Amino acid sequence: MRGWRGRALAVGRGAAPFGLIVIAWALVTRASVVPPIFLPPPGDVARTAWEMLKDGSLLINIGASLGRVLVSLVVSVPLAVAFGIFVGLRRRLSPVVEPIAGFFNALSGIAWLPLAVTWFGLGWASVTFIMFNTVFFLVFYNTLVGVRTVPRIFDHAVRTLGGSRRHVIFQVLIPGAMPSIVTGIRMSIGFGWRALIAAEMIATSTGLGFLIFNASNFHQTDAILVGIITIGLLWLLTDRLVLQPLERRTIERWGLVSS
Amino acid sequence: MGRYWEIASTWIIILTAGIAAWSLAAATLPVPAYFLPPPAAVLSGFVELTTKGMLPTYIGESLRRILLAAVIGLFVGVPIGLTLGISRRIADFAYPVLNFFQSVSGIAWLPLMLVWFGFGERTILIAVNYTVFFPVIFNALLGVRSVPQIYVNALRTLGASRWRIVRDVLVPGALPNIAMGVRLGLAYGWRALIAAEILVGANGLGFMIFNAQAFHLTARIMLGMAIIGALWVILDYFLLRPLEEATIARWGMVQR
Repeated sequence: MRGWRGRALAVGRGAAPFGLIVIAWALVTRASVVPPIFLPPPGDVARTAWEMLKDGSLLINIGASLGRVLVSLVVSVPLAVAFGIFVGLRRRLSPVVEPIAGFFNALSGIAWLPLAVTWFGLGWASVTFIMFNTVFFLVFYNTLVGVRTVPRIFDHAVRTLGGSRRHVIFQVLIPGAMPSIVTGIRMSIGFGWRALIAAEMIATSTGLGFLIFNASNFHQTDAILVGIITIGLLWLLTDRLVLQPLERRTIERWGLVSS
Repeated sequence: MGRYWEIASTWIIILTAGIAAWSLAAATLPVPAYFLPPPAAVLSGFVELTTKGMLPTYIGESLRRILLAAVIGLFVGVPIGLTLGISRRIADFAYPVLNFFQSVSGIAWLPLMLVWFGFGERTILIAVNYTVFFPVIFNALLGVRSVPQIYVNALRTLGASRWRIVRDVLVPGALPNIAMGVRLGLAYGWRALIAAEILVGANGLGFMIFNAQAFHLTARIMLGMAIIGALWVILDYFLLRPLEEATIARWGMVQR
Protein backbone atom coordinates (compact mmCIF):
# COMPACT_ATOMS: atom_id res chain seq x y z
CA MET A 1 0.00 0.00 0.00
CA ARG A 2 2.69 2.37 1.07
CA GLY A 3 4.94 1.27 -1.78
CA TRP A 4 2.17 1.99 -4.24
CA ARG A 5 1.60 5.46 -2.83
CA GLY A 6 5.30 6.15 -2.70
CA ARG A 7 5.63 5.20 -6.30
CA ALA A 8 2.69 7.37 -7.36
CA LEU A 9 4.25 10.25 -5.46
CA ALA A 10 7.60 9.71 -7.17
CA VAL A 11 5.96 9.65 -10.60
CA GLY A 12 4.03 12.81 -9.75
CA ARG A 13 7.19 14.55 -8.60
CA GLY A 14 8.99 13.51 -11.78
CA ALA A 15 6.13 14.69 -13.98
CA ALA A 16 5.64 18.04 -12.24
CA PRO A 17 8.52 19.90 -13.95
CA PHE A 18 7.29 18.69 -17.34
CA GLY A 19 3.82 19.96 -16.46
CA LEU A 20 5.31 23.36 -15.69
CA ILE A 21 7.20 23.41 -18.98
CA VAL A 22 4.04 22.60 -20.95
CA ILE A 23 2.13 25.32 -19.10
CA ALA A 24 4.87 27.86 -19.79
CA TRP A 25 4.98 26.74 -23.42
CA ALA A 26 1.19 27.16 -23.72
CA LEU A 27 1.36 30.61 -22.14
CA VAL A 28 4.14 31.76 -24.46
CA THR A 29 2.24 30.66 -27.55
CA ARG A 30 -1.06 32.05 -26.22
CA ALA A 31 0.52 35.44 -25.64
CA SER A 32 1.68 35.40 -29.29
CA VAL A 33 5.23 36.23 -28.28
CA VAL A 34 6.45 34.07 -31.14
CA PRO A 35 4.66 33.21 -34.38
CA PRO A 36 3.14 29.68 -34.44
CA ILE A 37 5.47 28.68 -37.27
CA PHE A 38 8.34 29.12 -34.80
CA LEU A 39 6.63 27.48 -31.88
CA PRO A 40 3.17 25.95 -32.28
CA PRO A 41 1.02 25.60 -29.12
CA PRO A 42 1.19 22.25 -27.28
CA GLY A 43 -2.37 21.44 -28.36
CA ASP A 44 -1.39 21.56 -32.02
CA VAL A 45 1.59 19.32 -31.42
CA ALA A 46 -0.60 16.81 -29.57
CA ARG A 47 -3.12 16.84 -32.42
CA THR A 48 -0.38 16.32 -35.01
CA ALA A 49 1.03 13.48 -32.92
CA TRP A 50 -2.40 11.85 -32.78
CA GLU A 51 -2.85 12.19 -36.55
CA MET A 52 0.60 10.77 -37.21
CA LEU A 53 -0.19 7.86 -34.92
CA LYS A 54 -3.51 7.23 -36.68
CA ASP A 55 -2.17 7.23 -40.22
CA GLY A 56 0.74 5.07 -39.08
CA SER A 57 3.50 7.36 -40.29
CA LEU A 58 4.95 7.81 -36.80
CA LEU A 59 5.05 4.09 -36.08
CA ILE A 60 6.60 3.27 -39.47
CA ASN A 61 9.41 5.76 -38.90
CA ILE A 62 9.97 4.59 -35.32
CA GLY A 63 10.12 1.02 -36.59
CA ALA A 64 12.60 1.95 -39.31
CA SER A 65 14.96 3.69 -36.87
CA LEU A 66 14.76 1.05 -34.16
CA GLY A 67 15.13 -1.72 -36.72
CA ARG A 68 18.36 -0.20 -38.00
CA VAL A 69 19.78 0.07 -34.49
CA LEU A 70 18.81 -3.52 -33.74
CA VAL A 71 20.19 -5.00 -36.97
CA SER A 72 23.52 -3.22 -36.62
CA LEU A 73 23.83 -4.32 -33.00
CA VAL A 74 23.02 -7.94 -33.78
CA VAL A 75 25.53 -8.04 -36.64
CA SER A 76 28.36 -5.90 -35.24
CA VAL A 77 28.54 -6.71 -31.55
CA PRO A 78 29.42 -10.44 -31.80
CA LEU A 79 31.84 -9.71 -34.63
CA ALA A 80 33.50 -6.89 -32.72
CA VAL A 81 33.80 -8.93 -29.50
CA ALA A 82 35.28 -11.88 -31.39
CA PHE A 83 37.82 -9.67 -33.18
CA GLY A 84 38.63 -7.82 -29.99
CA ILE A 85 39.45 -11.03 -28.16
CA PHE A 86 41.38 -12.40 -31.14
CA VAL A 87 43.60 -9.32 -31.33
CA GLY A 88 43.73 -8.89 -27.56
CA LEU A 89 45.27 -12.35 -27.23
CA ARG A 90 48.12 -11.45 -29.56
CA ARG A 91 50.59 -9.59 -27.43
CA ARG A 92 52.63 -8.36 -30.36
CA LEU A 93 49.67 -7.16 -32.39
CA SER A 94 47.48 -5.57 -29.74
CA PRO A 95 49.65 -2.57 -28.76
CA VAL A 96 49.75 -1.63 -32.44
CA VAL A 97 46.10 -2.21 -33.23
CA GLU A 98 44.84 -0.36 -30.17
CA PRO A 99 45.67 3.18 -31.39
CA ILE A 100 44.43 2.29 -34.88
CA ALA A 101 41.12 1.20 -33.40
CA GLY A 102 41.11 4.39 -31.35
CA PHE A 103 41.54 6.38 -34.53
CA PHE A 104 38.59 4.68 -36.23
CA ASN A 105 36.66 5.21 -33.04
CA ALA A 106 37.17 8.92 -33.37
CA LEU A 107 35.85 8.66 -36.92
CA SER A 108 32.82 6.67 -35.93
CA GLY A 109 29.45 7.93 -36.89
CA ILE A 110 28.55 10.64 -39.24
CA ALA A 111 32.02 11.22 -40.73
CA TRP A 112 31.49 8.04 -42.76
CA LEU A 113 28.41 9.46 -44.44
CA PRO A 114 29.99 10.98 -47.57
CA LEU A 115 32.02 7.85 -48.26
CA ALA A 116 29.00 5.63 -47.56
CA VAL A 117 26.92 7.61 -50.04
CA THR A 118 29.70 7.32 -52.63
CA TRP A 119 29.88 3.56 -52.20
CA PHE A 120 26.28 2.58 -51.57
CA GLY A 121 24.22 5.50 -52.86
CA LEU A 122 21.35 7.00 -50.94
CA GLY A 123 19.35 4.41 -49.09
CA TRP A 124 19.28 1.93 -46.27
CA ALA A 125 22.67 0.39 -47.17
CA SER A 126 24.47 3.67 -46.46
CA VAL A 127 22.74 4.18 -43.14
CA THR A 128 23.39 0.58 -42.09
CA PHE A 129 27.04 0.90 -43.08
CA ILE A 130 27.44 4.01 -40.90
CA MET A 131 25.75 2.33 -37.96
CA PHE A 132 27.79 -0.83 -38.46
CA ASN A 133 31.04 1.14 -38.36
CA THR A 134 30.03 3.10 -35.28
CA VAL A 135 29.06 0.02 -33.29
CA PHE A 136 31.87 -2.18 -34.53
CA PHE A 137 34.81 0.07 -33.73
CA LEU A 138 33.52 1.17 -30.32
CA VAL A 139 32.84 -2.39 -29.17
CA PHE A 140 36.04 -3.70 -30.77
CA TYR A 141 38.16 -1.06 -29.07
CA ASN A 142 36.58 -1.58 -25.67
CA THR A 143 36.85 -5.37 -25.92
CA LEU A 144 40.50 -5.05 -26.85
CA VAL A 145 41.19 -2.70 -23.95
CA GLY A 146 39.17 -4.94 -21.64
CA VAL A 147 41.09 -8.07 -22.57
CA ARG A 148 44.41 -6.27 -22.24
CA THR A 149 43.63 -5.01 -18.76
CA VAL A 150 42.67 -8.40 -17.29
CA PRO A 151 45.56 -9.07 -14.87
CA ARG A 152 47.93 -11.70 -16.27
CA ILE A 153 47.96 -13.43 -12.91
CA PHE A 154 44.45 -14.84 -13.43
CA ASP A 155 45.55 -16.13 -16.79
CA HIS A 156 48.59 -17.80 -15.21
CA ALA A 157 46.53 -19.20 -12.35
CA VAL A 158 44.16 -21.00 -14.71
CA ARG A 159 47.10 -22.23 -16.80
CA THR A 160 48.96 -23.63 -13.78
CA LEU A 161 45.85 -25.42 -12.69
CA GLY A 162 45.88 -27.17 -16.05
CA GLY A 163 43.33 -25.00 -17.87
CA SER A 164 43.44 -24.98 -21.66
CA ARG A 165 43.49 -21.92 -23.89
CA ARG A 166 39.74 -22.24 -24.21
CA HIS A 167 39.35 -22.14 -20.45
CA VAL A 168 41.41 -18.98 -20.34
CA ILE A 169 39.31 -17.31 -23.01
CA PHE A 170 35.90 -18.26 -21.70
CA GLN A 171 36.51 -18.21 -17.97
CA VAL A 172 39.06 -15.45 -17.58
CA LEU A 173 39.24 -13.08 -20.52
CA ILE A 174 35.60 -12.76 -21.53
CA PRO A 175 34.26 -12.36 -17.99
CA GLY A 176 37.14 -10.06 -17.09
CA ALA A 177 36.58 -7.90 -20.14
CA MET A 178 32.81 -7.91 -19.67
CA PRO A 179 32.44 -4.54 -17.90
CA SER A 180 34.53 -2.91 -20.61
CA ILE A 181 32.56 -4.67 -23.37
CA VAL A 182 29.28 -3.51 -21.87
CA THR A 183 30.63 0.04 -21.64
CA GLY A 184 31.49 -0.25 -25.33
CA ILE A 185 28.00 -1.46 -26.20
CA ARG A 186 26.44 1.30 -24.14
CA MET A 187 28.56 3.96 -25.80
CA SER A 188 27.94 2.50 -29.23
CA ILE A 189 24.19 2.73 -28.72
CA GLY A 190 24.58 6.34 -27.58
CA PHE A 191 26.85 7.40 -30.43
CA GLY A 192 25.05 5.15 -32.91
CA TRP A 193 21.61 6.53 -32.13
CA ARG A 194 22.84 10.09 -32.68
CA ALA A 195 24.68 9.15 -35.86
CA LEU A 196 21.58 7.36 -37.10
CA ILE A 197 19.35 10.40 -36.65
CA ALA A 198 21.87 12.54 -38.54
CA ALA A 199 22.36 9.96 -41.30
CA GLU A 200 18.63 9.52 -41.78
CA MET A 201 18.31 13.23 -42.40
CA ILE A 202 20.42 12.92 -45.52
CA ALA A 203 20.61 9.39 -46.78
CA THR A 204 17.12 7.86 -46.59
CA SER A 205 13.44 8.54 -46.82
CA THR A 206 12.34 6.71 -43.68
CA GLY A 207 13.15 6.94 -39.99
CA LEU A 208 12.81 9.60 -37.35
CA GLY A 209 15.74 11.65 -38.62
CA PHE A 210 14.13 11.85 -42.04
CA LEU A 211 10.80 12.71 -40.45
CA ILE A 212 12.08 15.78 -38.64
CA PHE A 213 14.37 16.98 -41.41
CA ASN A 214 11.64 16.62 -44.01
CA ALA A 215 9.19 18.45 -41.76
CA SER A 216 11.78 21.21 -41.42
CA ASN A 217 11.86 21.66 -45.20
CA PHE A 218 8.14 22.35 -45.13
CA HIS A 219 8.33 24.45 -41.95
CA GLN A 220 6.02 21.98 -40.19
CA THR A 221 7.24 22.87 -36.74
CA ASP A 222 4.57 20.78 -35.02
CA ALA A 223 5.73 17.61 -36.78
CA ILE A 224 9.36 18.42 -35.91
CA LEU A 225 8.42 18.70 -32.24
CA VAL A 226 6.53 15.39 -32.37
CA GLY A 227 9.68 13.79 -33.79
CA ILE A 228 11.99 15.39 -31.22
CA ILE A 229 9.79 14.33 -28.31
CA THR A 230 9.58 10.80 -29.72
CA ILE A 231 13.38 10.62 -30.04
CA GLY A 232 13.79 11.75 -26.45
CA LEU A 233 11.21 9.31 -25.09
CA LEU A 234 12.67 6.39 -27.04
CA TRP A 235 16.13 7.10 -25.66
CA LEU A 236 14.82 7.40 -22.08
CA LEU A 237 13.04 4.05 -22.46
CA THR A 238 16.12 2.37 -23.93
CA ASP A 239 18.28 3.74 -21.15
CA ARG A 240 15.90 2.70 -18.39
CA LEU A 241 14.86 -0.70 -19.74
CA VAL A 242 18.00 -1.94 -21.50
CA LEU A 243 21.19 -0.06 -20.71
CA GLN A 244 20.90 0.53 -16.97
CA PRO A 245 19.90 -3.07 -16.10
CA LEU A 246 22.62 -4.41 -18.40
CA GLU A 247 25.29 -2.29 -16.79
CA ARG A 248 24.13 -2.94 -13.25
CA ARG A 249 24.14 -6.66 -13.83
CA THR A 250 27.60 -6.83 -15.40
CA ILE A 251 29.17 -4.65 -12.74
CA GLU A 252 27.57 -6.68 -9.99
CA ARG A 253 28.57 -9.93 -11.56
CA TRP A 254 31.99 -9.26 -13.06
CA GLY A 255 33.06 -5.82 -11.97
CA LEU A 256 36.09 -5.00 -9.83
CA VAL A 257 38.04 -7.90 -11.28
CA SER A 258 41.28 -6.03 -11.01
CA SER A 259 41.09 -5.41 -7.28
CA MET B 1 64.78 -1.98 -26.04
CA GLY B 2 63.76 -5.26 -27.66
CA ARG B 3 60.12 -4.64 -26.90
CA TYR B 4 60.12 -1.19 -28.50
CA TRP B 5 61.79 -2.57 -31.59
CA GLU B 6 59.14 -5.29 -31.74
CA ILE B 7 56.28 -2.79 -31.55
CA ALA B 8 57.91 -0.45 -34.06
CA SER B 9 58.53 -3.23 -36.55
CA THR B 10 54.94 -4.43 -36.19
CA TRP B 11 53.79 -0.87 -36.86
CA ILE B 12 55.90 -0.67 -40.00
CA ILE B 13 54.69 -4.04 -41.26
CA ILE B 14 51.00 -3.22 -40.68
CA LEU B 15 51.20 0.24 -42.22
CA THR B 16 53.12 -0.93 -45.29
CA ALA B 17 50.82 -3.88 -45.77
CA GLY B 18 47.76 -1.68 -45.39
CA ILE B 19 48.94 0.92 -47.87
CA ALA B 20 50.12 -1.74 -50.32
CA ALA B 21 46.80 -3.58 -50.14
CA TRP B 22 44.91 -0.32 -50.60
CA SER B 23 47.03 0.69 -53.63
CA LEU B 24 46.65 -2.77 -55.12
CA ALA B 25 42.89 -2.76 -54.61
CA ALA B 26 42.60 0.71 -56.12
CA ALA B 27 44.63 -0.36 -59.15
CA THR B 28 42.98 -3.71 -59.82
CA LEU B 29 39.38 -3.64 -58.59
CA PRO B 30 36.90 -3.25 -61.46
CA VAL B 31 35.23 -0.17 -60.02
CA PRO B 32 35.14 3.45 -61.22
CA ALA B 33 38.17 5.48 -60.16
CA TYR B 34 36.15 7.67 -57.79
CA PHE B 35 35.09 4.60 -55.79
CA LEU B 36 38.48 3.90 -54.34
CA PRO B 37 41.22 6.42 -55.07
CA PRO B 38 44.77 5.19 -54.30
CA PRO B 39 46.65 6.47 -51.24
CA ALA B 40 48.81 8.61 -53.51
CA ALA B 41 45.72 10.56 -54.61
CA VAL B 42 44.82 11.29 -50.99
CA LEU B 43 48.35 12.53 -50.36
CA SER B 44 48.39 14.76 -53.43
CA GLY B 45 44.98 16.06 -52.40
CA PHE B 46 46.51 16.99 -49.06
CA VAL B 47 49.35 18.87 -50.73
CA GLU B 48 47.01 20.61 -53.16
CA LEU B 49 44.45 21.74 -50.59
CA THR B 50 47.16 22.89 -48.21
CA THR B 51 48.95 25.01 -50.78
CA LYS B 52 45.62 26.50 -51.88
CA GLY B 53 44.93 27.33 -48.26
CA MET B 54 41.51 25.66 -48.13
CA LEU B 55 42.54 22.93 -45.75
CA PRO B 56 44.04 25.20 -43.08
CA THR B 57 40.92 27.37 -43.24
CA TYR B 58 38.52 24.43 -42.80
CA ILE B 59 40.58 22.91 -40.01
CA GLY B 60 40.76 26.29 -38.31
CA GLU B 61 37.00 26.77 -38.54
CA SER B 62 36.18 23.36 -37.07
CA LEU B 63 38.74 23.75 -34.29
CA ARG B 64 37.52 27.22 -33.46
CA ARG B 65 33.96 25.94 -33.13
CA ILE B 66 34.83 22.98 -30.92
CA LEU B 67 37.08 25.07 -28.67
CA LEU B 68 34.39 27.71 -28.33
CA ALA B 69 31.93 24.98 -27.36
CA ALA B 70 34.44 23.66 -24.82
CA VAL B 71 34.90 27.07 -23.22
CA ILE B 72 31.20 27.83 -23.07
CA GLY B 73 30.50 24.32 -21.82
CA LEU B 74 33.01 24.81 -19.02
CA PHE B 75 31.85 28.23 -17.94
CA VAL B 76 28.12 27.56 -18.12
CA GLY B 77 27.78 23.79 -17.71
CA VAL B 78 30.07 23.34 -14.73
CA PRO B 79 28.40 25.95 -12.49
CA ILE B 80 24.97 24.50 -13.34
CA GLY B 81 26.17 20.97 -12.57
CA LEU B 82 27.79 22.06 -9.31
CA THR B 83 24.65 23.90 -8.23
CA LEU B 84 22.56 20.83 -8.93
CA GLY B 85 25.03 18.67 -7.02
CA ILE B 86 25.03 20.95 -4.01
CA SER B 87 21.31 21.60 -3.73
CA ARG B 88 19.29 18.44 -3.51
CA ARG B 89 16.02 20.35 -3.84
CA ILE B 90 16.90 21.99 -7.16
CA ALA B 91 18.34 18.72 -8.44
CA ASP B 92 15.19 16.72 -7.67
CA PHE B 93 13.20 19.21 -9.63
CA ALA B 94 15.52 19.73 -12.59
CA TYR B 95 16.95 16.24 -13.01
CA PRO B 96 14.10 14.60 -15.00
CA VAL B 97 13.88 17.60 -17.31
CA LEU B 98 17.62 17.67 -17.94
CA ASN B 99 17.59 13.94 -18.48
CA PHE B 100 14.90 14.28 -21.12
CA PHE B 101 16.69 17.09 -22.92
CA GLN B 102 19.90 15.13 -22.79
CA SER B 103 18.16 12.23 -24.51
CA VAL B 104 17.36 14.40 -27.51
CA SER B 105 20.72 14.83 -29.18
CA GLY B 106 21.75 18.23 -30.44
CA ILE B 107 21.48 16.99 -34.00
CA ALA B 108 17.83 16.08 -33.51
CA TRP B 109 17.18 19.72 -32.61
CA LEU B 110 18.89 20.85 -35.78
CA PRO B 111 15.76 20.89 -38.00
CA LEU B 112 13.98 23.06 -35.45
CA MET B 113 17.05 25.27 -35.03
CA LEU B 114 17.18 25.72 -38.78
CA VAL B 115 13.66 27.13 -38.61
CA TRP B 116 14.55 29.28 -35.62
CA PHE B 117 18.03 30.52 -36.44
CA GLY B 118 18.41 29.87 -40.17
CA PHE B 119 21.25 28.22 -42.07
CA GLY B 120 24.41 29.55 -40.54
CA GLU B 121 27.03 29.82 -37.89
CA ARG B 122 24.55 30.42 -35.08
CA THR B 123 22.71 27.13 -35.65
CA ILE B 124 25.95 25.13 -35.71
CA LEU B 125 27.26 26.70 -32.52
CA ILE B 126 23.99 26.23 -30.64
CA ALA B 127 23.64 22.59 -31.72
CA VAL B 128 27.22 21.77 -30.71
CA ASN B 129 26.97 23.61 -27.41
CA TYR B 130 23.75 21.82 -26.62
CA THR B 131 25.53 18.51 -27.14
CA VAL B 132 28.52 19.47 -24.98
CA PHE B 133 26.42 20.81 -22.10
CA PHE B 134 24.68 17.76 -20.78
CA PRO B 135 27.59 15.38 -20.17
CA VAL B 136 29.37 18.29 -18.46
CA ILE B 137 26.38 19.08 -16.24
CA PHE B 138 25.65 15.47 -15.32
CA ASN B 139 29.24 14.63 -14.50
CA ALA B 140 29.74 17.74 -12.39
CA LEU B 141 26.60 16.76 -10.48
CA LEU B 142 27.84 13.21 -10.09
CA GLY B 143 31.22 14.49 -8.95
CA VAL B 144 29.75 16.54 -6.13
CA ARG B 145 27.59 13.64 -5.04
CA SER B 146 30.53 11.24 -5.01
CA VAL B 147 32.39 13.25 -2.39
CA PRO B 148 32.12 11.22 0.85
CA GLN B 149 29.78 12.87 3.34
CA ILE B 150 32.38 12.36 6.06
CA TYR B 151 34.60 15.13 4.65
CA VAL B 152 31.69 17.53 4.64
CA ASN B 153 30.87 16.57 8.22
CA ALA B 154 34.49 16.90 9.26
CA LEU B 155 34.72 20.46 8.01
CA ARG B 156 31.37 21.33 9.44
CA THR B 157 32.28 20.13 12.93
CA LEU B 158 35.38 22.29 12.67
CA GLY B 159 33.07 25.23 12.15
CA ALA B 160 33.47 25.78 8.41
CA SER B 161 30.88 27.85 6.62
CA ARG B 162 28.78 26.46 3.81
CA TRP B 163 30.79 28.42 1.26
CA ARG B 164 34.02 27.03 2.69
CA ILE B 165 32.71 23.47 2.28
CA VAL B 166 31.73 24.12 -1.31
CA ARG B 167 35.08 25.70 -2.14
CA ASP B 168 37.41 23.37 -0.28
CA VAL B 169 35.61 20.03 -0.39
CA LEU B 170 32.88 19.74 -2.98
CA VAL B 171 34.44 21.52 -5.95
CA PRO B 172 37.91 19.91 -5.69
CA GLY B 173 36.28 16.54 -5.07
CA ALA B 174 34.21 16.94 -8.21
CA LEU B 175 37.14 17.91 -10.45
CA PRO B 176 37.98 14.41 -11.75
CA ASN B 177 34.36 13.93 -12.78
CA ILE B 178 34.26 17.39 -14.34
CA ALA B 179 37.31 16.56 -16.44
CA MET B 180 35.64 13.31 -17.47
CA GLY B 181 32.44 15.16 -18.35
CA VAL B 182 34.30 17.65 -20.51
CA ARG B 183 36.07 14.84 -22.32
CA LEU B 184 32.83 12.95 -22.96
CA GLY B 185 30.98 16.11 -23.89
CA LEU B 186 33.60 17.06 -26.44
CA ALA B 187 33.59 13.53 -27.86
CA TYR B 188 29.88 13.91 -28.54
CA GLY B 189 30.36 17.54 -29.54
CA TRP B 190 33.02 16.79 -32.15
CA ARG B 191 30.70 14.35 -33.89
CA ALA B 192 27.78 16.74 -33.61
CA LEU B 193 29.94 19.46 -35.12
CA ILE B 194 30.80 17.33 -38.15
CA ALA B 195 27.12 16.43 -38.57
CA ALA B 196 26.04 20.05 -38.21
CA GLU B 197 28.63 21.20 -40.72
CA ILE B 198 27.36 18.54 -43.14
CA LEU B 199 23.72 19.53 -42.70
CA VAL B 200 24.10 23.29 -42.45
CA GLY B 201 26.99 23.49 -44.87
CA ALA B 202 28.85 26.56 -43.70
CA ASN B 203 32.51 25.56 -44.17
CA GLY B 204 34.53 23.41 -41.76
CA LEU B 205 35.68 19.82 -42.20
CA GLY B 206 32.17 18.34 -42.23
CA PHE B 207 31.23 20.66 -45.07
CA MET B 208 34.44 19.79 -46.88
CA ILE B 209 33.79 16.02 -46.96
CA PHE B 210 30.10 16.36 -47.79
CA ASN B 211 30.71 18.86 -50.53
CA ALA B 212 33.44 16.63 -51.99
CA GLN B 213 30.89 13.82 -52.19
CA ALA B 214 28.68 15.87 -54.51
CA PHE B 215 31.61 16.20 -56.94
CA HIS B 216 32.80 12.60 -56.52
CA LEU B 217 36.10 13.84 -55.11
CA THR B 218 36.54 10.69 -53.04
CA ALA B 219 40.21 11.33 -52.30
CA ARG B 220 39.19 14.57 -50.67
CA ILE B 221 36.56 12.75 -48.58
CA MET B 222 39.16 10.29 -47.34
CA LEU B 223 41.59 13.09 -46.60
CA GLY B 224 38.92 14.90 -44.60
CA MET B 225 38.06 11.74 -42.67
CA ALA B 226 41.71 11.12 -41.84
CA ILE B 227 42.04 14.67 -40.54
CA ILE B 228 38.81 14.46 -38.52
CA GLY B 229 40.02 11.26 -36.87
CA ALA B 230 43.57 12.51 -36.35
CA LEU B 231 42.48 15.82 -34.84
CA TRP B 232 40.29 14.07 -32.32
CA VAL B 233 43.02 11.58 -31.40
CA ILE B 234 45.48 14.46 -30.90
CA LEU B 235 42.98 16.47 -28.87
CA ASP B 236 42.11 13.47 -26.76
CA TYR B 237 45.61 12.07 -26.24
CA PHE B 238 47.47 15.30 -25.63
CA LEU B 239 44.88 17.50 -23.97
CA LEU B 240 41.78 15.81 -22.58
CA ARG B 241 43.18 12.53 -21.31
CA PRO B 242 46.21 14.06 -19.55
CA LEU B 243 43.84 16.59 -17.99
CA GLU B 244 41.60 13.84 -16.71
CA GLU B 245 44.51 11.80 -15.40
CA ALA B 246 46.03 14.83 -13.72
CA THR B 247 42.82 15.65 -11.88
CA ILE B 248 42.41 12.04 -10.84
CA ALA B 249 46.01 11.93 -9.59
CA ARG B 250 45.61 15.18 -7.68
CA TRP B 251 42.04 15.04 -6.40
CA GLY B 252 40.73 11.61 -7.27
CA MET B 253 40.40 8.51 -5.11
CA VAL B 254 39.07 10.61 -2.30
CA GLN B 255 37.73 7.48 -0.73
CA ARG B 256 40.81 5.81 0.64
